[in-house]
Amino acid sequence: MGFVDFLGDNLVQFWEYTGFANCTIPHLAMILVGLFFIYLAIKKNFEPMLLVPIGFGILIGNIPFKIDAGLEVGIYEEGSVLNILYQGVSAGWYPPLVFLGIGAMTDFSSLIANPKLMLVGAAAQFGIFGAYMVALALGFTPDQAGAIAIIGGADGPTAIFLSSKLAPNLMGAIAVSAYSYMALVPVIQPPIMRLLTTKKERVIRMKPARAVSQNEKIMFPIIGLLLTCFLVPSGLPLLGMLFFGNLLRESGVTSRLAKTASGPLCDIVTILLGMTVGASTQASEFLTPSTLGIFALGFMAFIIASASGVLFVKVFNLVLPKSKKINPLIGNAGVSAVPMSARISNNIGLEYDSTNYLLMHAMGPNVAGVIGSAVAAGVLLGFLS
Amino acid sequence: MNKKILGIFLLALCMVSLAEAQGRKGLRINEVLIVNETNYQDDYGCQSAWIELFNTTFGTVDVRSCYLTNDKNNPKKYPIPKGDVLTEMPPRQHLLFWADGMPSRGTFHVNFTLDPTKDNWIGLYDANGRDLIDSVTVPAGIPADHSYARAEDGVGHWVIKGDDGSGYVTPSTNNITLDKNVKIEMFSEHDPFGVGMAIMAMAIVFSGLLLLYLLFRLIGQISVLIKKRNAMRVHGISDKEEAKEKGFGQESGEIYAAISMALYQHLEVHDVEDTILTINKVKRAYSPWNSKIYSLREIPHKK
Repeated sequence: MGFVDFLGDNLVQFWEYTGFANCTIPHLAMILVGLFFIYLAIKKNFEPMLLVPIGFGILIGNIPFKIDAGLEVGIYEEGSVLNILYQGVSAGWYPPLVFLGIGAMTDFSSLIANPKLMLVGAAAQFGIFGAYMVALALGFTPDQAGAIAIIGGADGPTAIFLSSKLAPNLMGAIAVSAYSYMALVPVIQPPIMRLLTTKKERVIRMKPARAVSQNEKIMFPIIGLLLTCFLVPSGLPLLGMLFFGNLLRESGVTSRLAKTASGPLCDIVTILLGMTVGASTQASEFLTPSTLGIFALGFMAFIIASASGVLFVKVFNLVLPKSKKINPLIGNAGVSAVPMSARISNNIGLEYDSTNYLLMHAMGPNVAGVIGSAVAAGVLLGFLS
Repeated sequence: MNKKILGIFLLALCMVSLAEAQGRKGLRINEVLIVNETNYQDDYGCQSAWIELFNTTFGTVDVRSCYLTNDKNNPKKYPIPKGDVLTEMPPRQHLLFWADGMPSRGTFHVNFTLDPTKDNWIGLYDANGRDLIDSVTVPAGIPADHSYARAEDGVGHWVIKGDDGSGYVTPSTNNITLDKNVKIEMFSEHDPFGVGMAIMAMAIVFSGLLLLYLLFRLIGQISVLIKKRNAMRVHGISDKEEAKEKGFGQESGEIYAAISMALYQHLEVHDVEDTILTINKVKRAYSPWNSKIYSLREIPHKK
């Protein structure tokens, strides 16, 4: 072999390893999806904290490479750096850490002041089980249907946690779907809220919440943990961390820990979680007919959840005295997209009465939704695992 | 008061000691074969009686230092040796011991044999040689190459199994082979439309949050009562009706927020100064990573 032939062979070999040589239409399609997510995050400001890591993760996960070369770069190749980072998703330990942060940054006082709003958070979980029924009708097995349906809880970490246990092969699609719909809360929920409420209902003024004592705030995570986890022990990883984080916040003696849990730790895990979930959408694994079904079911679950929260408030109002009526615009906040859906309640409320601030009232069902979706995940895990 | 708290703490400690320990307490004698003619062979190619243990827990359990025995009066008859990594039992897995009376052949060869002509009592003791973890009496007269086994791994009644239609002898493997997820199959069969699941699950979610609601409604009422009582004491009011009219204990958070804001404005308001006067030495740790000389520009911040 001459020197020129040697160089030529090596260049040909190099070409075979490049992304250009291995690129396929599905790769390009997924790269476009990633770019679209980044566009939505930066230009439209749709949940940038989620969509930037996921969108960029999609780009990372869909750089074409020679799969059979054993380069150990792909997220599904054992031993690769991405694979090691992905273990937090596949083994399900990122979501509880995110829940620790959520607990440490969540103020449950609006819920403690008006505990009946917990029932709104429970009602919104019907989206999960409505989607479960439809998923079964579409031919998914019960465990797959459970994992897909949890998208209706609008809780990314819960969706990842449950799908990693019930249907690991669908986890990428479920996670991306859950986070996408959470980011699209400002687009999806307002039409449903307007459709299901009258103008008169939208201007209902709710009594300001009473001030909650620190003792009540400290008791809430302890009692909440004991009560919910005695009922659904399978929800322990999520509920345990959620309430633990909240106790760190409310105890008043662990503010350093609470700051770390709600700040740097939560940020680190969110970066890793978002990026690896995005990267897990490798075209060869992600672009399957079931992915489309999951996205459609997730969308439907989200709509059912939002609608059932609003409708529940309307029904609840029938039995409440006039002075204690609830504005049904806070019903959508029963899904646990914190605090996006509460913000939507507030914004829509302000459209119809510029002095009617619903934010703190909506935070009640919103945080109840976090607890409700974690309990629902525990129930599904208990029944189907 | 302190004595009461101490008493409750001690009571809780006593109750903790009653709780069933995880780990070795979860070990079970799972299957025993006494007459081995054509069954499983050991590493020496010999066919001897064997005793199978099963780890019922979902954690790894090390059986080293535990004791296997066939003599109630000698619980420490065969100490399972230390220093062999193979004595670690993974979750829900099995370990086989050969009852050939030849411990020199390795960790898993015990120093006693089993007699097929009479009942054989076999016990597994914890490392202290006193706590019996599990025991079984294998009846006499079990045919050759038939085992005495639990119907299901780690639980259930004991049955005789052989390859003659009475079930299979299963050394070092599950007594029942699970080739499907029973729960999923049951749901598919009995609840094909998911209505049952929806009803059950929503009932559980609702009851969980309903309990929380009822409890915090009660706690809230107690809290309001305490606040009301304190406010009445401060204002020197003893008439409950008057206190109710004035809304003691029910003050909204907005009132406190407004008061806090006013106090903040009054006490804490500053000009735009960003420095403080101090007698402490100010240290500025230098690092090229935080030096402006080495950074091209600030991180952009979208307004």
